[in-house]
Amino acid sequence: MESATDKTIFSSYVRKEGLFDEVFKNNGDVKSVYQKLLDLYGSRSIEDYVNLNTKAKSSFFNQGITFQVYGDKQSQEKIFPFDLFPRIIDPKEWEIIEKGAIQRSLALNHFLWDVYHDKKIVKDGIVPIELLSSSPNYLHQMMDVDPPSKIYNHISGTDIIKHSDGNYYVLEDNIRCPSGVSYVICNRTALKRALFGVFNHYKTHTVTNYAENLLNLLESVKPPGVDSPVCVVITPGMFNSAYYEHSYLAKAMGVELVEGRDLFVENDFVYMKTTQGPVRVDVVYRRVDDLFIDPMEFNPDSALGVPGLFAAYRKGNVTIANAPGTGVADDKAIYTYVPEIIKYYLDEEPILKNVHTYHCSRPDELQYVLDHVKELVIKPVDEAGGYGISIGNRLTKDEIEKVKAEVKANPRKYVAQPIMSLSVHPTYIDEKESFEQRHVDLRTFTVLGHDQQFVLKGGLTRVALKEGNLIVNSSQGGGSKDTWVLKQ
Amino acid sequence: MFYEYEIDYDTQNSYEQGLKEAFWQFLVIPEENDTQEVTYWHFENDLGERNSVSVNGLGFKTVQVRSKMEIDHIVFNAHFKLIKKEINPFDFELPLDSKEEFVELRSLDFRTDHEPFLRNTRLTHLPEKYASIFSFDENVSLFENLQALNQWVFNKIFFKPGVTDVRTHMEEIIEKRHGVCQDFTHLFCAIAKKNGVPARYVSGYLHQGSGFFGDSQMHAWVEAFVPNAGWIGFDPTNNLLANHNHIKVCHGKDYTDCAPLKGVVYTFGKNETKYSVSVKAAQQQQ
Repeated sequence: MESATDKTIFSSYVRKEGLFDEVFKNNGDVKSVYQKLLDLYGSRSIEDYVNLNTKAKSSFFNQGITFQVYGDKQSQEKIFPFDLFPRIIDPKEWEIIEKGAIQRSLALNHFLWDVYHDKKIVKDGIVPIELLSSSPNYLHQMMDVDPPSKIYNHISGTDIIKHSDGNYYVLEDNIRCPSGVSYVICNRTALKRALFGVFNHYKTHTVTNYAENLLNLLESVKPPGVDSPVCVVITPGMFNSAYYEHSYLAKAMGVELVEGRDLFVENDFVYMKTTQGPVRVDVVYRRVDDLFIDPMEFNPDSALGVPGLFAAYRKGNVTIANAPGTGVADDKAIYTYVPEIIKYYLDEEPILKNVHTYHCSRPDELQYVLDHVKELVIKPVDEAGGYGISIGNRLTKDEIEKVKAEVKANPRKYVAQPIMSLSVHPTYIDEKESFEQRHVDLRTFTVLGHDQQFVLKGGLTRVALKEGNLIVNSSQGGGSKDTWVLKQ
Repeated sequence: MFYEYEIDYDTQNSYEQGLKEAFWQFLVIPEENDTQEVTYWHFENDLGERNSVSVNGLGFKTVQVRSKMEIDHIVFNAHFKLIKKEINPFDFELPLDSKEEFVELRSLDFRTDHEPFLRNTRLTHLPEKYASIFSFDENVSLFENLQALNQWVFNKIFFKPGVTDVRTHMEEIIEKRHGVCQDFTHLFCAIAKKNGVPARYVSGYLHQGSGFFGDSQMHAWVEAFVPNAGWIGFDPTNNLLANHNHIKVCHGKDYTDCAPLKGVVYTFGKNETKYSVSVKAAQQQQ
């Protein structure tokens, strides 16, 4: 396979000034943790790499690991672009990330309990009541409901970036139905198939234990009085962009994948229709948004939900994970209060930093945002998947005026952050047939159960494949890398 | 003084194309509270399906019916007997000084505790251009202000069935000045909330003593929160305070929380809903 005449894969790698490269130091030396990997990869030619990359891609396609982009009528399914050059996180850095992610999830869980019960954090003047009452995800129906083991955000996806100052920052919390974990596992599988040898040189933590931990979690929050709970994964269906993941998780856990129409509620108990008759369901891992899970309580037009599910939940006959109403805590306006939320409930300093955020709902900050659109990222507070984001220095004059008008008209809908320079990682670019620097972030997955705290040792490194692009979401043309967390 | 009532709620829904599967939820059971007690209930549907009593997200009892067979209609009847106590709306501690009342309304604790009923909803959102259509006078008590609002809404809107529905925008109600009890109630709630007073939509039955509007249908009125007194019922459709003729089923932020019938039916084509309500006074007891 090797042909010495070809150029080696990093021979034309260009390091741009001012970017934080995770693999190379400023002086061009390779960081020690990557040295071995570079030696291994460096012994191959670009052609070898192209070959492997093509094989890995077809492996993804053949396994059906695809996603769908909303609003794109051209193609229904796309492969999530995968890069064969992994990202490595050393044990010391990982320890910070892991502790920080658990701290954040615990604090947000306390916050959710509080805002659905005594609202002490509001009465103590820390979080404004207006932020809650204007959030469509602050569910009146969840008031004074006690979820099993007092857990709301069973599964959190925390998006973390490494800034050019070398520190990790949290970009956002995802605690409704965070997706992406199946790609973490598939990336590992694909890399092992393509380049098994490299794993012999690194002691890397496994990521395949996620499903096991997820199932433990779901079983740990079963309704009282149930011995061996029946768990299901509920999906909006095959047209959902994350359908592959829903089916993967159900299969990996050995539980049924259902749609709303496969379940029914009678006498406040939830049943699954099976060929052997109805089977009682105790725990629902839902990948359907709050407002669609039960047309009796929420969006009456929803055909994705199960009528009567919420009443069964409120009565304690079924557990829903994540709990309904968690969306109020991953609102991007609440995000800015997370450092205070951590101090308030845990009496600890935040381990992971927040990116400074301006609230357009505050008049003085709104003025700052309007005056500095060019230097800021403007984000809608309630959209997921990177939709509706404007990056100031990429906008034309007209676009800036448009953004300003939109923000002025709906200040509560927007927050703004300084443009953070995400770290870059060498990424193979098809068209150029070479490695180039591309911005990356990291989504970690945290699981909170009854006496269980687990962070998947790995995570989804997302890559913005367009040169200079900072938005890494798969729906915005991002790819991903296998992420190795090394053992101590 | 006690009043005994018999209430019938009857509904018939027909579906042109027929249904394979359906789920209906009726929010028609009177609430148990200090002034009313349900002594008997009976539910019937002509499908032979079970009538399951459940509790909705805001804590009110519902009846759920799930059909598993192919059908083209459902007839559902509910029958209640109920004892209602006389309500004296003036039965509360001496009100705070009116100035203090308004200070209380603005306090963070108060706004936090009553957040759900101060929240703007689509149906109780006062259009910006009418933001000051009715302002409270802080020199008189909150209760008097609310009574004045009750009368103002009563005079502002003319009762006229069939011209508005749940999709009607509040602007249209204010400008065309007609509507039914839902519209009176939403307008009252919107103005009260705009002035910082928690207000909630109440759905229930009205015993038609002497030609009030709202009989033979479910009725709607308002409960507004007065510090030191609690929730007080106002019926702006009839310019009344809620009294022993008002039999409460539930409350919510607006009509959406209180719709008497919610259903999920898997069908095409038209459907038709008919319903009627009757409230009879059985007896008066000293």
